[in-house]
Amino acid sequence: MNSKSRIVQALAVLAGASLALTACGQGSASTAPSEGGTLTYWSMWKDGEPQQKVIAEAIADFEQQTGATVKVQWQGRSNTEKLVPALNTNNVPDIVDGPYAKLATTMGDTGQALPLGAAYDTVVDGKKVSELVPAKYTAISNIKGEDGTPWMLPYSLSSDAIWFDAAKHPELVANPPADWNGFIAELDKLKAAGETPLAADGDVAGYNALWFTTALIRTEGPGSFKTLASDKTGAGWDAPKVLAAAQKVEQIAKGGYLVPGYDASKWPAQQQVWASGKASLILNGSWLPTETSTYAAEGFQYSSFPFPAIDGKPAAVRADFIGWAVPKKAKNPGLAQQLAAFMLNKKYQDDYGTKAKVLPIRADAASAPQMDSVKKALDNATTVYQGGDGVTYAGYMEKVFWPIDDQLFLGKISAAEFVAKMKDAQVQYWKDNG
Amino acid sequence: MSAATTTRRTASSGTERRPKEAGRPQAGGSTMDRQRRKLLVPFVGPAFIFYTALFIIPAIGAAWISLHKWAGSGPMTFVGIENYLRVFRDPLFLKSFGNTLLLLFVVGAAIFILAFAMTLVLRDMAGKKIVRSVIFFPHLINALVFGVLAGFIFNPGGIVNTLLAPLGVQNPPAWLAQDNIFPLIMATLVATTTGYFTTILMAGVDRIPPYYYEDCALAGATPFQRLRYVILPLTWDVFGTCAVLWTISSIKIFEIIWVFGGSSGAGIPPTQSWTTAVYTYVTAFSGQSTPAYGAATASAIISLALVSVLVVVLRRAMRRDAVEF
Repeated sequence: MNSKSRIVQALAVLAGASLALTACGQGSASTAPSEGGTLTYWSMWKDGEPQQKVIAEAIADFEQQTGATVKVQWQGRSNTEKLVPALNTNNVPDIVDGPYAKLATTMGDTGQALPLGAAYDTVVDGKKVSELVPAKYTAISNIKGEDGTPWMLPYSLSSDAIWFDAAKHPELVANPPADWNGFIAELDKLKAAGETPLAADGDVAGYNALWFTTALIRTEGPGSFKTLASDKTGAGWDAPKVLAAAQKVEQIAKGGYLVPGYDASKWPAQQQVWASGKASLILNGSWLPTETSTYAAEGFQYSSFPFPAIDGKPAAVRADFIGWAVPKKAKNPGLAQQLAAFMLNKKYQDDYGTKAKVLPIRADAASAPQMDSVKKALDNATTVYQGGDGVTYAGYMEKVFWPIDDQLFLGKISAAEFVAKMKDAQVQYWKDNG
Repeated sequence: MSAATTTRRTASSGTERRPKEAGRPQAGGSTMDRQRRKLLVPFVGPAFIFYTALFIIPAIGAAWISLHKWAGSGPMTFVGIENYLRVFRDPLFLKSFGNTLLLLFVVGAAIFILAFAMTLVLRDMAGKKIVRSVIFFPHLINALVFGVLAGFIFNPGGIVNTLLAPLGVQNPPAWLAQDNIFPLIMATLVATTTGYFTTILMAGVDRIPPYYYEDCALAGATPFQRLRYVILPLTWDVFGTCAVLWTISSIKIFEIIWVFGGSSGAGIPPTQSWTTAVYTYVTAFSGQSTPAYGAATASAIISLALVSVLVVVLRRAMRRDAVEF
């Protein structure tokens, strides 16, 4: 090891401390001896969460069958933040899990993730893993490294939809709005019937952003938002289709459909309003049934329909991966990939669907009734896209897009003003970050 | 810190004595001085090593990182002072910086005016011991609690609006609207921090011998004159320390902003309420986009420079000859 890289390493370890804002020690248990049968696993789940229980069970079975020892740390959602400083040392975990957006920014994009060819070639339940993971998901190119091999193995999906209580609105199960105009007509109908048509936690910028990005992707296809964000001249914002998507958001924001006060509340206040039956619809993630189950009205039946089609284009569906990645510096990468493949056994995938009530990655895995509508949409979709359309440019979402999009969704600016502001801000962004 | 200060004093007093000792036959001063010097390393050493390892080296490391474009791992590209220029060009950073200054000066002024007012009232008040504990209490509660409570209190269906409704307020203010969050945070900070500084100032006020007050009473001084001519001059050093404490802590304020508008984990606070600390954090750890450690450390270094300059200026401005009493 030359002295320069040693300095870089030393500095890197200290970087977290010098920012002095997160006390993210890197866990001493990662110093596992590099014996054949020991693995260190940093998980995004916390002890006691439904997903954690499924993974813990799979790991126990794996240890029994292979004689390996897996040292798991149930670190919770900040595991990737802890991973960043660790990657500059030799004490890295052998395997980590997390959502795509976090693993990509910390490992995938920075060339720190190992290509998982061996895991994808493993045979599980008589089939290669590469066949178990539906091709339309792996086709999303951004989980592939430079050599074309994916560096991430997904085990579950998250998606989004417009949710409602099927007990109260059985007609929406049979006849969901066919397109945007049908959707607006439905909102008007609900309003006329004296209901509050829509709930939204307006303080969560990521939720607000779903309206614009989804409306754009509906007409221009997956990847269109990323293309728009990547445009250094900002000229893309002048396109009529972009304005049209923004106008749809304006239509929602200014149409009087949303719960009064959605622009001045604190999550989860508005999804509680929805779950208690005081608002009919909400655009939110596939995690919503699990998240709201404790305060949902009695007899609440979760159901959903996809964000409506626009201009008759086929509806692509959002599919965000949650999965595993192996750092290039892992001491036991072979065993780590073996574990990842093992956990894709149907037994654990079924548990994911029925016990943890999330969407397992395998198309043949069982799922909970709450997820039926989302699963159907995903199974039928010919194309999928990732949340935020896979835009991970440093600070673009948090500092450029979200603040201006918030103003649009919270009804402070018009669609035309939104487009003009975005163009200016984006030109400046690329001038500074190009 | 205190160990270092003490030993520094010891070391300097040793140096001052040296000329006198030079005439003595034994080189190296008296037995006591030699003994003292012998203890210098074991006493200063550990503090010095820890301080260097935990503060000075990381600060230098941060300065080094701030000259690079770096995602936290992987390749580092040297970009010189580009990160600093970028941060200063970023209107969002300037806005965050402005908010930090608002906390420092506006909230700071409010806290000290209230704290002095309370010391005047509390000195002669019946049951002042209980009152002191009560006003100190909010400071014991983690700022996170206030952030989380903000939702219960100020949501559209929250406590405040429920209480206002019977009073005939039909359209209550949108308390938690993006533009209103920062003023709310400022008010919360005033409410939670005033008691803390009042307690410290009261400790200074309690030291003032009662005969000064008796003198005031005999001379017919108003409470304000008593503050101006007795309390302020005699507690000036305590006040100076409080001002430095507030400067340092106000620039680090982070968690209350993060949870007040940060949806308790589901999102990040609206940019209207960001401070430089929040700006730094989002730039490095947002989790939604590629980390920009270079720009984040640049912003952190700017904050550090700001604190250092302000503390030096403040100490200069507040320098007075200590009044002996």
